[in-house]
Formats: sequence, structure tokens, C-alpha cells
Amino acid sequence: MTQLFDLLALDAVQRAAFALLLGAIGLPIVGVVIIGLDIVPVRFAMMHIALLGIAFGLLTGVDPLLCAVVACGLSGAGLAPLARSASGLSGAMGLLMSLAIAAALLVLSISGVNAAGAFELLWGSILATRTGDVVLLGVIAVVVPGLFFLRRGQLALLLHDRELAACSGVRVERLTMVLLVLVAVAVAGAIRLTGALLVDALTLLPALAARRMAHSLTGMAWWAVGFGVVVNLVGFVLALLLDQPPGPVLVLLAGVLALAAHLIPERRTPEWQSSPREAVSPH
Amino acid sequence: MVHGVDLVVEPGERVALTGTNGSGKTTLLRAVLGLHPARSGVIEVGGVRAGSAADWTRRRRDAAWIPQKQAAGRFPLLADELLASSGAPEHARTAAEELGVGHLRGQPLHTLSGGQLQRTYLARAMGCVAAGAGLLLADEPTAALDFAGQADAARMLTSLPVTVLVVTHDRAVVNRCERVLEMAAGALREIT
Repeated sequence: MTQLFDLLALDAVQRAAFALLLGAIGLPIVGVVIIGLDIVPVRFAMMHIALLGIAFGLLTGVDPLLCAVVACGLSGAGLAPLARSASGLSGAMGLLMSLAIAAALLVLSISGVNAAGAFELLWGSILATRTGDVVLLGVIAVVVPGLFFLRRGQLALLLHDRELAACSGVRVERLTMVLLVLVAVAVAGAIRLTGALLVDALTLLPALAARRMAHSLTGMAWWAVGFGVVVNLVGFVLALLLDQPPGPVLVLLAGVLALAAHLIPERRTPEWQSSPREAVSPH
Repeated sequence: MVHGVDLVVEPGERVALTGTNGSGKTTLLRAVLGLHPARSGVIEVGGVRAGSAADWTRRRRDAAWIPQKQAAGRFPLLADELLASSGAPEHARTAAEELGVGHLRGQPLHTLSGGQLQRTYLARAMGCVAAGAGLLLADEPTAALDFAGQADAARMLTSLPVTVLVVTHDRAVVNRCERVLEMAAGALREIT
């Protein structure tokens, strides 16, 4: 335990813990949006696009993470016109993934940079978190919940039924684009903490656990943030105590929590998440 | 596919649209709101064409829409959130009370029966009209209701001070409309 307190006294550890706390506020709500828009594969696409951004940064000397965030944000905005259906986005993301990884490898080859440096970011390094990463996560922690709670009525309609939202005066294309940009930037921002491959621990897994517990969109957001805080802080302390890499510990803890939530008997949980149905026939 | 439709509905008129399944009734109704893109032709509401996204948003906001398939949705939505989306939440809540679903406001839509869901959508439409909608587009708005409910809903819908275009097979609704049109194989003809 003394060793733990010694570790917690280190600047890098404190910065990492603070970054994880900030991440636990905004990123699980992003996970809720990802599930709501049915764009779970989006993180794979953003991972590849982030790599392209990093490659571009290494080539030009601009901060690679900044380039990754910008590339992901632009891609999110570019995907918006295809978001009329989940299938439209899936196809586009598949294309984007292939093009992005091909372009990234080409840029790395042209620049003569060691590709291993670029791929390091895919594995993440919480203890290497810099002030700039903390600032980005802080912005996400303010903007995402802020947008969510200010526009929760419109969001609830959009995530429930796009046409109903459109017929209620919601500008669905614009709102969808804002959400996709936020998702893309948030995924890029989370990459530093757990790595692109483990970014689910901060976004999707808390949201999946929350989906099991909540009866409304707002309730789901609260549950997701609660799960996120518990997973990030407990997971980080556990990783320090066990002297293991935080990323996998966080993912395992979040996964266990999501599984535990799904083990709660069906009758005590909402039914809506199991399968869509159309309730038009009389009972 | 809907083709060759030439229809003028006067302000305040109530028009029933009937026809066999798959004849294009729902497509026609959805095209008015831009939910189904029209390949050719012009659809004006209040003498105004919709061109830009903002135009379509305005048209949809200024119409009360009762869809045929009231999706339970992939994500939870409370009945009260549906009522609030009308633009006049208090009116919609009052209508929900009158329709016997006021006590379900705190329930997620996926927990309501088909009839309860349809009544909630009817109450929402009442709220839309109270908020200023001048056009009611309803697609089989009484299909999930019992006989008493159908009569009540028909009376409420057709007593609204708006232009009504309703797809229906329900005689209670048809009898309360001034004109009845029949759609067959994508074409429209007037019955009465």
C-alpha cells in the first residue's frame, strides 16, 4: 500500500488518474451515442484514420495527436451524409478504413519514418499522458455532457427514430454530423489513454452496461458515466497495485461489469435493447 | 411506385385515402413530408414548395404526422418525451388524459401496447395542432384501436380545425371525411 501511495505522488500518475477521471465523464456518453446511432464499427475506422493523421504529423513535424484528432473530426463530418441508415455508414467506414491504412503506410514510407513509432499509439500509454491530452479530454468532458443535456430531447428523438425526430422539427442531418464529429474526436482523444485497440473500455463497455440498467436516454447517460468513473478509477488503482498495464486491466474490469449487468434477470431490466419491434398490432 | 397523382386538398378539407395494401397510399403521404423522395413532380403545402433542408424541416414541423408503423425504437423514449415533441406539451398531455393514456406518460414507449402507443401518437398530433400545425397527415391512425377507441379517435381527428389527409380502412374515419379517394396500383381516383 505504501508503494501505491508513492506511485500516486508522482506527477505522471496523477496526470493519468486525472485524465481517466475526465475521460469517464465524456467518453461513456459518446459510447451511448455510438450505440444509439448503431455505429459500433466506427472506432475501427477512426483508429485507421488516426493512424493516417499520426503519419501525416510525423511527416510534417506537426503534433501527431493533433493531426489524428483533426483527421478523425473531418472524417466524422464527411460521414454524416451517409448516416441515413446504419448500413450506409458501415459500408462507408469499411471503405474509409482501407483507404486510410493504405494512405498511412504510403505516407510513412515516403517520409522514411519508422512505422513502429506510429503504431505505438495504437497500444496507448496512460502514463505518457501529456497536458495537451488532458486538455482535450477536459474539453470532451465539458462539451459532450453539455450537448447531451442541453439537447437531450432532440437526441432522444433522433436515437429513437430518425423520422420521428425529423417530423418534430429536429434538423437531423446537422445534429447527426455534430454527433459524428464528437464521436470521432472523442475516440481520437481516448486513444492516448488505453490505445486505439482498447478504446472500448472507455466508451462502449460502460454504455453497454448502462443500457441494461436504464429506462430512458438520460438515465442511460447517468449510468454510463457512473460505470465509467468506477471502471477508470478502480481499474487504474488495480493496475498500479498489480503492477500491470492499465489499458488491459481497464478493459477487463469494464467487460466484467458489462457482463455482470447482463446477468441481472431479464424481468428486472428494460426490454427495448433486445430487439427492435413495431408495436402496431393491437394486443 | 406512385405516378400521375394530381391532387388538390383545400384548406380545412378532410380527405380519406383508401386502397389495397401496397397501392402507394403511405408512399404518397410520406412524400408530402419528404420522408420518401419524389423523383418528379411538385408537392406544395400552403402554396409553398420545399427545396432546401430548412424548408423541409419547416414543413415537417408545421404538420402533425401520425405514422403507420409507430416504431418502438432501438433506444428508449418516454411517452412524455413523445408528447413533448409536439411543440405544445401541455395540450398533448391533456389530450393523452382524454384518450386514456395520460397515466402512462412516465413509461417508455416499448412497454406500451399497440393501442396505447397509437393513442399516445394521437395525443401528440393534438399537441402539434395546438402548436400551430395546419395539416394533419395520418396513416391508419386507428388500426390498433378497439371499436370504441376507433370511434373516439375518428371524432377527435376529424374535429380538428386543420386540413386532414388520412390513410384509412376504418369506416368511422371515412364517414367523417368530405372526400374519399382510392389509390390503386400507384394511381389515384376519386370515389366521393
